[in-house]
Amino acid sequence: MTYTPQTLDHSRRRFLIKTGWLAAGVTALTSCSGLIPVLPTTANPKDEDGSSWIQILADGRVRFLCPRMEMGQGATIGLSQIVAEELGVTQDQIECLAPDSDQLGPFKMTVGSEGIARFSGPVAMGAAGLREHFRQLAADKVLLPFDQIEDAAGGFTAAGNFIGYGELVPDQARIIGAEYRADVVPRFADRNGNSRAIGKSWKSPELKNIVTGQTIYSRDIAVPDMLYGDIVRPPRYGATLKEAINRGAETLPGVVSVVIDEANDLVAVVAKSPFVLADALEKIETTWQSSPDEIPDDILDVSLYRTRGDFEHSLMDEGSARSADKAAIAVTSANYTTSYMAHAAMEPRAAVAWVREEEVEIWCGCQDPYFVRGRVAALLKRDQKEVVVHPLRMGGGFGGRVLCQPAEEAAVLSARVGMPVRVQWDRETEFQHNYFQPKFSHAIDSGLDEAGHIAFWRHDFVSSPIIFGLVPSPFASILDAFVADEGTARGADMPYDVSEHKRVRYSDIRTGIPTGAWRGLGAAPNTFAIESTMDELAYSAGKDPLAFRLSQLENNGGNSKRLSEVLRRVGKMADWGKSVDKNLGLGVAAAVYKDQTFVAVVAEVRIDQQREQISVTSLWCAQDCGLVVNPDQVENQVLGNLIWGCGMALKEKLTFNEGAPGQLNFDSYEVLRHVEAPRTFIELVETPGAPPVAVGESAFAPAVAAIANAAFAATGKRPRQLPFDYDSLQIQ
Amino acid sequence: MIKLNGKQVPVSKDLYEISLLDFIRDQVLLKGTKYGCGQGLCGACTIHLDGIARRACQLNVADAVGHEVTTIEGLAGTSGETGSDDLHPVQKAWIAEAVPQCGYCQPGQIMTAAALLREKPQPDADQIRAGMNGNICRCGTYERIHRAVARAAREDQS
Ligand code: FES
Ligand code: FES
Repeated sequence: MTYTPQTLDHSRRRFLIKTGWLAAGVTALTSCSGLIPVLPTTANPKDEDGSSWIQILADGRVRFLCPRMEMGQGATIGLSQIVAEELGVTQDQIECLAPDSDQLGPFKMTVGSEGIARFSGPVAMGAAGLREHFRQLAADKVLLPFDQIEDAAGGFTAAGNFIGYGELVPDQARIIGAEYRADVVPRFADRNGNSRAIGKSWKSPELKNIVTGQTIYSRDIAVPDMLYGDIVRPPRYGATLKEAINRGAETLPGVVSVVIDEANDLVAVVAKSPFVLADALEKIETTWQSSPDEIPDDILDVSLYRTRGDFEHSLMDEGSARSADKAAIAVTSANYTTSYMAHAAMEPRAAVAWVREEEVEIWCGCQDPYFVRGRVAALLKRDQKEVVVHPLRMGGGFGGRVLCQPAEEAAVLSARVGMPVRVQWDRETEFQHNYFQPKFSHAIDSGLDEAGHIAFWRHDFVSSPIIFGLVPSPFASILDAFVADEGTARGADMPYDVSEHKRVRYSDIRTGIPTGAWRGLGAAPNTFAIESTMDELAYSAGKDPLAFRLSQLENNGGNSKRLSEVLRRVGKMADWGKSVDKNLGLGVAAAVYKDQTFVAVVAEVRIDQQREQISVTSLWCAQDCGLVVNPDQVENQVLGNLIWGCGMALKEKLTFNEGAPGQLNFDSYEVLRHVEAPRTFIELVETPGAPPVAVGESAFAPAVAAIANAAFAATGKRPRQLPFDYDSLQIQ
Repeated sequence: MIKLNGKQVPVSKDLYEISLLDFIRDQVLLKGTKYGCGQGLCGACTIHLDGIARRACQLNVADAVGHEVTTIEGLAGTSGETGSDDLHPVQKAWIAEAVPQCGYCQPGQIMTAAALLREKPQPDADQIRAGMNGNICRCGTYERIHRAVARAAREDQS
């Protein structure tokens, strides 16, 4: 691409400020790109890790340094229940804390609904090891053999006498942890036992604080002598600072420092009061230079690649195309598109940083505190050991808070002024300056054989990198040459039987629009295309869509059985097959999330011909997510997924022009609102012996597809592009 | 002066033009009232001005001078109830229904619900939906919010 420098003039800058367009670009602070990029924390937890997370305090209570960041998904509660199960304690005897980054070694970023799925095992091992350690202490104390020390609530009994954990903590110690022991057997593993905590609907210990406004989120942190900073961020992705002229920002009362550092693209104000920041920034005129020809997002069009047969990655290519084509009698071909989308968590991000000679402290909510630590250390050229991140509860995450950009901004400013500095993003900055769910463009060809089975399935799609979306540019091109982005492909391997030929190819293309993790990654876009096609096949064969799906799930083993089960269950729940009013339609869809969570959804959609509106009236969801540690939390997660699915199907869409998003607040980027929320019916199907698995983003993909299929049932028009509405379906 | 959660708070004139939300959060340091959009679109900043639910981000400090402002921190004090943890009935209903996920929108939701119930003590389902529609919950807890409002109305009656 040719690079044509272009300047945005002063009046444009004014315009940008007036309309709130203050920001752009994820890596505004370019000094971050050292030789080796700082990467997110990705190592999976091991059983050994659990022992460092759990301790017993002198009063017999349990301290749990929870290795999952809380953003409403409830992982801290579920994992606390596992601790309680192992140690035989009650909820009020557990103090669950978000560990500072110097309290624990790095743990994996909180993503992918892995809180219970991956961490329950190590947590159980750690707690069980601690229990057995204390059993030994009890045995030593009462001079009885180890195996005569019996479990009791909050401790043990020995020869009929109760010994609480607290009595076993030596006088001089305040806290006791235990070494890892590989030989312990967690109770958690023995699911036939009578569980005290597992399977119970513990409520969040934070509830009372939330409803009284006492919970501390990133925006609520105040440290003594804190100053307030804000930055002029580039108005377009990739723009660099050409010139900044200060017209007296420092004269405003309370302004402590005006920072203009053109070499580092940094223009900022630090003040004693947050109220003066906007006025002070207005007094600095900035000119930005950028490449105007952002790659248009229509390059993400699968047809362009299909004609050239040009896909970077082949997810699978099984069987023979020729025999498949021979066998197929009914054939469907269609394209499906999903939009760029934003996380739009209710809390726009914020942070406080305090850079001192001996230590750097950061207060912020983020999905990966160790990534923040590493990035801040690199930015300030400090040792990672000198940086401590104090993590806070997040007001929503959804994949969008792996980074905490204001922490980096605040750190740079604090280093300059030598005082703690708070930086908080406004809603417009949150929309403009983060990364996004990429657009997806799909084409699927499929055909049925004479017996009505799927003979071939050829799915091609193009989108952008998701897991590697945030890798900075010099490394990205090297990486992209070798690695297929699994996040982009999540959910692209459809679960149904294919007799002759199954092929899935894709390309993950960088477009200059920052892309990264967003709830479920590729699962919903891929599931939408797959389950719409399944619907098309069913209709083309004149079969009932639910029965058709079941008939394609006969040969695939255990996964097929569990998926069939939730499909049957949801059919019962929704009374599938009943006749419905002519303005209503029912649609079904199913998916296996991350090869572990089996979900089926039925949607009922209503067409209001007078108002020319489509709404989702009911959603039924059956989910098999193995062992359910906390049914109420899981149901709340499923509810959130269903609502999110309505938003993706009917509302959410981000567009870009001139290298910046065209939607910067909830007036133009619409999310689902209360009156639009359907009735929901949720059932959890437990397969005996199945371990607990991901629930935070599993139900939403089939919800999206079920809504689209319901709209087809109601109107005869198939939504091929999301979001869709009455007009885009051209119902009249 | 602004009467904030029952106490008179002096206000200097040079703060009259800032938003009431910024004033509450960064001057009075009551952090329970949340910023979500700054444009009157999400309801996270909902407070009561003389008992009516208002968006604090859409008011200036001057608008509140001489008036009574209640924030989530002061809500319990307006219910006239004592004992049982001193929570407002709406807050109790929120706990009973375990409404929150991330919780960030919930102070605003609760303030809207409390004002709605003061105006219409026994709202029907459509009135609840319409009354709560200005408050976004990105985590998607609408159904539980609805249940909690209905529960608060029910328990108020009994
Ligand atoms: S912050 Fe006031 S309505 Fe959103
Ligand atoms: S609970 Fe998270 S936004 Fe409502």
